[in-house]
Parts: sequence; C-alpha cells; structure tokens
Amino acid sequence: MASRVIVVTSGKGGVGKTTTTANVAAALAEMGNKVVAIDGDVGLRNLDVVMGMENRIVYTLIDAIEGACRLNQAVIRDKRVENLYMLPTAQSRTKDAVTPQQMIDVCNELRKDYDYILVDCPAGIEAGFKNAAAGADEALVVATPEVSSVRDADRIIGLLEAMEKSPIRLIVNRIRRDMVKRGDMLGVSDVLDVLAIDLIGMIPDDEAIITSANSGILLTASSGSPASRAFKNIAARVAGEDVPFMNLDSNESAGIFHRIKTMFGF
Amino acid sequence: MIKLKGMADSVLRCIISEELPASGFGEALRAVMEKGKQILPGARVVLDFGARALPEPLIASILSGFVWPSGICVVAWITYDAASQEILKRGGLSISEPLPESPVVGRNTASLVLHRSLRSGQRVEHRGDVIIVGHVNSGAEVLASGNITIIGRLKGLAHAGYEGDENSSVVVRSMEAPQVRIGGKIGSLEREANWWARNVIVSVRDERVLIEYWPPLKNEAGEEIARERPIYR
Repeated sequence: MASRVIVVTSGKGGVGKTTTTANVAAALAEMGNKVVAIDGDVGLRNLDVVMGMENRIVYTLIDAIEGACRLNQAVIRDKRVENLYMLPTAQSRTKDAVTPQQMIDVCNELRKDYDYILVDCPAGIEAGFKNAAAGADEALVVATPEVSSVRDADRIIGLLEAMEKSPIRLIVNRIRRDMVKRGDMLGVSDVLDVLAIDLIGMIPDDEAIITSANSGILLTASSGSPASRAFKNIAARVAGEDVPFMNLDSNESAGIFHRIKTMFGF
Repeated sequence: MIKLKGMADSVLRCIISEELPASGFGEALRAVMEKGKQILPGARVVLDFGARALPEPLIASILSGFVWPSGICVVAWITYDAASQEILKRGGLSISEPLPESPVVGRNTASLVLHRSLRSGQRVEHRGDVIIVGHVNSGAEVLASGNITIIGRLKGLAHAGYEGDENSSVVVRSMEAPQVRIGGKIGSLEREANWWARNVIVSVRDERVLIEYWPPLKNEAGEEIARERPIYR
C-alpha cells in the first residue's frame, strides 16, 4: 500500500484538531497500520501532551530539519499502542523555523517507513498552515457546529482545494444532540449544506475527551465511550472501509440529511 | 485540462481547469502553444484560472513559459482567489474581464455567469452584471459594476454598482447576508427580519436601500404584503 499523508486542519482554533489527530492515528495503528502523527504546530505544541509522550521528547522535528539529529531519532514510539509513533515539534521556536519544502521532504522521508502520516495543523491560514499542509496528499477538516467554525472551515477548504489536496473530508466535532434538537445548535446537515464536502465522521460532545486529553491516555485505547467509537469509525473510513454512519431511527422520516442528523451511533 | 474558446470582439478565452495540478502546467501550456500556433501570436487572450491560487512564482512561470513565447496579448487574468487578485494587481496585470468594443446600449459591460459556489475568502470582481448559479458563502465577496443575481444562498458580501451605479440591484434566491451594498449605500439586515432566508430583490430608491420579496408575497385576501421596506440608511 502506498503511504498516505493526511493533514488534520480547521482554520479555527480549539475545535479538536489535536485530539482528532491523536485518536484517529491511534485507531489506525490498532487496525494494524504503522502510523506516525506529526505535530505541525511549531511553538505551541500539544500533540505530545494529548498522546501522553511529553516526558519522552529528546529531539524534535526542528532538530531533524536543522540536521541536529536523524529524522528517526526524533520519532517517539508509543508504548501502549503498537505501530503508533509521534514526531514532536519544538516549543521554543516559531512557525518560521520550517519551510513548506522542508515539510514535503520530511513527509516523503516518512513515507518509506509508515502507512499513514497524520499532520496536526496549527490554527490559522498563515505559514503554519501552509507548512503543515504542504506535504499532505489529503485533508481532514474538523469543524464544530458553530457559525464561526463553519466559516473558517469554508475558508480552509477553499485553500486546500487551491493546493490540490484530495480528498478533503469533514469531521463534525462536539455535537450536542439535545441542543441540535432544541434548535440551539447547527445540525450536521446544516454544516454539510454550507461546506459541501464529504462527511467522514461525527463526534459527540463527550466528557471522556477532556479527561483523556488531560491524562494523555488516548480515548481509543481506554474506553468504549461514544467519542471513542466515533474516532474508530473515522479511522476505518479513512482506511477505506464502508462503515455505516448511523443507528437509524426507523420512526424518523427518511431524508438523507434527516437520517444523518438523527444518527448518533456515529 | 486547458481549453481555448472564442469570445466576443475576437478575444480568446483560455480556461485552465482547476483540476490540472500545478506541476502539469508547463506541459499543458506547451501543448496549447503547439496546437494554437496559427492563432495565438498577437491574439487577445483572457486567462481564466477559476478559483485557483496564483502565487508569484507560478505567475512568473506562466509569463515566461507561455505568454511571451506564444506571442499572445493577455487582456485579463481571472482568478477568484482574493490574495492572488492582489498579487496580480500589484504587478499591474488586469483582473477584470475586457470591456466590449461596441458598447451595449445603456450599459458598457458584459455579463459574467458563474456555475459554482464561492467559499470564504474567494472574490469575484467584474465590470458588468454577475450571475451566480450557486451559493455565496459567509466571507466570500461578489463585486459587480452592474447587477448581481445569485441563484442560491447569499451569506457573504454582495456589492452591486461598485463603481457608483445606484440603479443596480441584487437579486437573491435565499437572502442570508447581514449586509448588502449598492453603489455608495449600505443596507443591513437583522437575522430576525422577515426577509431572512427568502427570495428577495434589493435596490436603491429615494436614497435608501430597499428590500422586497420577489415574487411579491400575498396575504389571504390576495393583497401584496410588505412589498418594500427600507433596510437601513
């Protein structure tokens, strides 16, 4: 199988890019793929914390780019999930420490050894985003059902299309079914209607995510929570499996958007 | 991936597909040069890149690899990427469709019809009327010196008559934009307004921006309701 480089991005900050990167990477690894997650957020790194590896960093992506170490010396192996690796970035540097060409070179180097390379992208549309996206073939866009998040995702999708990334697929994160039902929150169909790209997953608002991110114990490894199932399903769909989106409520009307809206089997 | 089409006033339109990867540009343009070597030298050409972003190195390579060797005269560089439009403008390159040589009676402009949606950050600027068969998402911009018709949702900014023509109008299938501009006037609309998410026509009358249902809504007695109301200013 040719290895795939996937950037996880959103435009807006705080919508769950890092959590998604970590958990989808772990789920892909649990399926038997060799996976490396790259922290593309130079200067504001967090992937190491979410993946529980912050005390194991010796070298970083920047050290490897600057020649202070070999690339494989900077990559950390996860002790709990077999086949899962993480490439941390530097906390003491800024986005200017990397160029898009260097990121392309790093991704191409990693393609030799890994099935999946997931790049956790920083918020924004400036150099950090351009670097993180440079080496990727395809993209996962994370959006929450909020107007500001959807607008930023729309901007990012336009940029990703211009950069010829394909496919570009959507993850709707932090869905609160009760609020959607009350009409206080955009539904998945509303988000899809605006963004007009393929949906690859929906993640419910789940307290387990916060506990997991703080403890550095990945959801996919630790629990059968709804969010954990959602991440595993996303990973399976990334790998090309046809996983149904929904526990269809047969009493509901059968419109496709309505069905998507009402499925919370994720 | 690259098509040449004839337009009015013997202008050629060179449409470069958005699906063509940037790495394939050089080869595809050379093929166009080869095929069109009889017609290209001296031809007036509009280069249409759709929503593709044009970073400086790509523009430079198109100039040196296609424009100059083929002998064409580029009359406009069309892209909906707002950042690229700025780059082209800074280089003194025209980003508007060419004006017709024989003016249409009443308005010296041509229409632009787009079968696509515009995403946040994308912009269309056109001297003439613009018809969009698609949505204009929040954060996208449409500027026309004439009228604007959007057969879809308007969530972004529409500015009709941006060169000052306040006889222009904006017609929208689903009005979901908090602001519409016509000439030098700005109309703003509350989300709670009756017109929100309805099909409307926005125009200027008596120095005020007006919005009305289109087609007019009627009540049970068959009378038109709320045919026109000022939005604001």
